[in-house]
Amino acid sequence: MNSFEDKLRNALRREAAPEGFAEKVLARTRGLSQPGAKAWGQFGAFLAMPVLRWAAAAVAVCLLVVAGLVYHQRQERLRREGEMARAQVMQALRIASVKLNVARKKVQEINRETPPSRL
Amino acid sequence: MNVTQGRIYINPALILFGATLLGAFSQPTFGQNPKLDIKNVELIAKKASEVVDVNLDGALLKLAAKFMTAEDDREGLEIVKNLKGIYVKNFEFDKPGEYSQADVEAIRGQLQKPSWSRIVSAQSKHEGETTEIYLMTAPDGGAVLGMAIINAEPKELTVVNIVGPIDIDKLSALEGKMGIPHLSKDAKESTKKSEGHHEKQK
Repeated sequence: MNSFEDKLRNALRREAAPEGFAEKVLARTRGLSQPGAKAWGQFGAFLAMPVLRWAAAAVAVCLLVVAGLVYHQRQERLRREGEMARAQVMQALRIASVKLNVARKKVQEINRETPPSRL
Repeated sequence: MNVTQGRIYINPALILFGATLLGAFSQPTFGQNPKLDIKNVELIAKKASEVVDVNLDGALLKLAAKFMTAEDDREGLEIVKNLKGIYVKNFEFDKPGEYSQADVEAIRGQLQKPSWSRIVSAQSKHEGETTEIYLMTAPDGGAVLGMAIINAEPKELTVVNIVGPIDIDKLSALEGKMGIPHLSKDAKESTKKSEGHHEKQK
């Protein structure tokens, strides 16, 4: 009987709480009292899933590829427009120069044909 | 307290009048524009067998200038870098009389003094060809603001309108470059031929 009582006493004896126990309990209760923090925690945990990480990386790569393609197409269009404008400038200068020189030559010819007046 | 007491009331009609005056005097040489209205000749395009229509405003010229990087383009770039616009209409016809003198007069009518001055007018009655070169200069007579060339042949009509400070000597010096035929050589050859022909006749 005595040994039983001794075992019971030993089992139910007062024991000091481990160090930091109170802080841990308080932190837990604080976390439980803020549902937003819990949601964020869950969201964080959701994002931490490896499948999602791969999916996010794939989406990022796709976006980069699309952005690159759009940029390339825009540059190509700009280059084509620039080349076309350059060709038009050349053509315009050609016509303008030819017509200008035709007029000059005609004036020169007229001056050559007209003898200088002797005063 | 009346907040509107300190405000000055301006008549909207006065603002409109001021804006109109500003618009009129901001254009070079009080109203006349170095850019010609050559839309009327666009109707001739229907009758033409070949059409060259170049419409390059300031933005397109700047874009073109960025692509004029080749060595052959250097002289062309020198000419266009300060220009504000190049407009060319060239029509070639299968037979004479496809355009009227009224079409040419509509353009010529815009090239009036004091802003525009005709610097060259060459007429060949034998060939039925007329070439006129007009220049628009600043009111003080200094800077060139624009140039226009009208070349009317029986089977060809060309209107060139260059807006901005164009250097005529540089434009003329393009002869023999950039695929532009060397007219001096052609002229010399034709002169030699005609001289030879005359000699033979003698």
